[in-house]
Amino acid sequence: MGNMNKLAAVAQIKWLCMSQNTAVVIGPFMVIGMVWGFKILYSNFGPNGELIPVMMAMLLNLGVTMNICINGFLMVGTAIAEEKEKHTLRVLMTSSVTGMQYFIGSILYPFVLTVVINFAILWVSGIEMGQVSVPVFFLVSVIASLISCVIGMIVGICASTQMNANLIGYPLMMVFMMVPILGNLSEGLRRISGFLFTGVVTQMTDCFANGAEYKMEALDIAVLFGELIISVLVFLVMYRRNGYEKD
Amino acid sequence: MEQNELLQLSHISKRYKTELALKDINMELHPGEILGFLGPSGAGKTTTIKIITGQLRQTSGEARILGTDSANIDASIYERIGVVSDDSGIYEKMTVWQNLNMFAKIWRVPRTRVEEVLRLVDLSEHSKKQAGKLSKGQKQRLVLARAVLHKPRILFLDEPTSGLDPTTAVEIHKMLLDLKKEGMAIFLTTHNMEEATKLCDNVALLYQGEIVEFGSPQELCLKYNRDKKYQILLDDRKEIILEQTPENIRKIAEWMEKDQIQCIHSCEPTLESVFLQVTGKTLNAW
Ligand SMILES: Nc1ncnc2c1ncn2[C@@H]1O[C@H](COP(=O)(O)OP(=O)(O)O)[C@@H](O)[C@H]1O
Ligand SMILES: [Mg+2]
Repeated sequence: MGNMNKLAAVAQIKWLCMSQNTAVVIGPFMVIGMVWGFKILYSNFGPNGELIPVMMAMLLNLGVTMNICINGFLMVGTAIAEEKEKHTLRVLMTSSVTGMQYFIGSILYPFVLTVVINFAILWVSGIEMGQVSVPVFFLVSVIASLISCVIGMIVGICASTQMNANLIGYPLMMVFMMVPILGNLSEGLRRISGFLFTGVVTQMTDCFANGAEYKMEALDIAVLFGELIISVLVFLVMYRRNGYEKD
Repeated sequence: MEQNELLQLSHISKRYKTELALKDINMELHPGEILGFLGPSGAGKTTTIKIITGQLRQTSGEARILGTDSANIDASIYERIGVVSDDSGIYEKMTVWQNLNMFAKIWRVPRTRVEEVLRLVDLSEHSKKQAGKLSKGQKQRLVLARAVLHKPRILFLDEPTSGLDPTTAVEIHKMLLDLKKEGMAIFLTTHNMEEATKLCDNVALLYQGEIVEFGSPQELCLKYNRDKKYQILLDDRKEIILEQTPENIRKIAEWMEKDQIQCIHSCEPTLESVFLQVTGKTLNAW
């Protein structure tokens, strides 16, 4: 670990770049704002100004999955694409930063941010904290954020421009975000949703919102860890072939 | 093993799918030497730099850089060499200072060195400026500053002055000569023969992936200076070029005596004309 300075430098570069990108900065605030707005809007329906469980479920689901998807798929992916567009990625890779250091440095802040904002959403939603199992929420948030960030890295490898990254990132985001949300409407989608890591997140927040005890099943664990491993493997295969950038 | 060579290419060739981009390239680079690869666009200059600096794998042959086979180098080699590619970018939203400071952290370079390098490229008074707002020449100077921040043993420059105005190019030339004085070896590519003549201790003329000539600029020019010529502008505004023959020399002497000559130049051979003689093509041909 004698090279922590390089990792720290990459993370700092990413931080400086992301914090200068208005769209990226606004994203998380928009999600929190949206949750807060909905809460105020719909709390009139419930008794003494509280959200009815079904609304709370929808709100948490929307906020948490959106947060996870935006930060990972889009933030991480476009940040790499931006470096390709501005020709700084090659500069970093010819300055003694390794692929691994670049990987960790790139996802560090988006990952931490996603987990922190997930908790902020929980808090803003006004859910009774007695209904929430914090350790489980933390664990699931961590793994889901990691998967999302790794997929963001894959998007970054595939994309050559920021536009390109959005073009690849948005459809992915739609699938991982909308399938669990629409799962309430169709049995077919609900089934598919069970196999998506965002679907596992949804099941969890649904349980919390309804005041039910959340028990993670074997399938949920398999989906979470399986998709984490798959995304890392896909990333590694793609990275081994061409690095972050094709020649 | 000979340790004096910082760089040694033997029989390097590179094939892209169907196209043979480099054929049997051999060369060496020593401390304090500036070596230039001079050739037109598409000659294989960028390919050569990418192979030497480990960004691309050769099809055959061996490249040794700082004593290590380039097939075995890892990211740590970049702690000892500096690379400026033909499109090296900067972080435009960061300040000039931040741009250098990030890399100072990567290389564990003290703050004083950042200040020193800023002075070297004459950007000290712009250090708080957003890098995206610099002029094209200033940006290139920043790129150069970054590449030498960690005092590399070898500096690689892919067409460092291409697209810059002549004044900025001259400034960059001066900086490169200063770095050379400090003992840094420089490997540069260019399609500008004046640049090669002025800067390089040795020049390799690269044409269609082959080194067609190698030597110091002066050596090469003299070698190909077969028929000497004089360019003369007479009083009657007639411009003529005369070869070195006894008869022509008598003629010139006569004009001189009568004070009829406005200007007279010896047509010294240039690398441009050497290139033309060797390849039958001009340097700026596409
Ligand atoms: N990635 C690539 N794939 C296929 N051909 C390439 C690639 N890069 C360069 N070439 C070809 O190799 C030759 C040399 O290119 P290059 O090294 O970029 O020349 P230079 O830098 O001297 O202009 C050119 O004919 C170019 O078309
Ligand atoms: Mg080139």
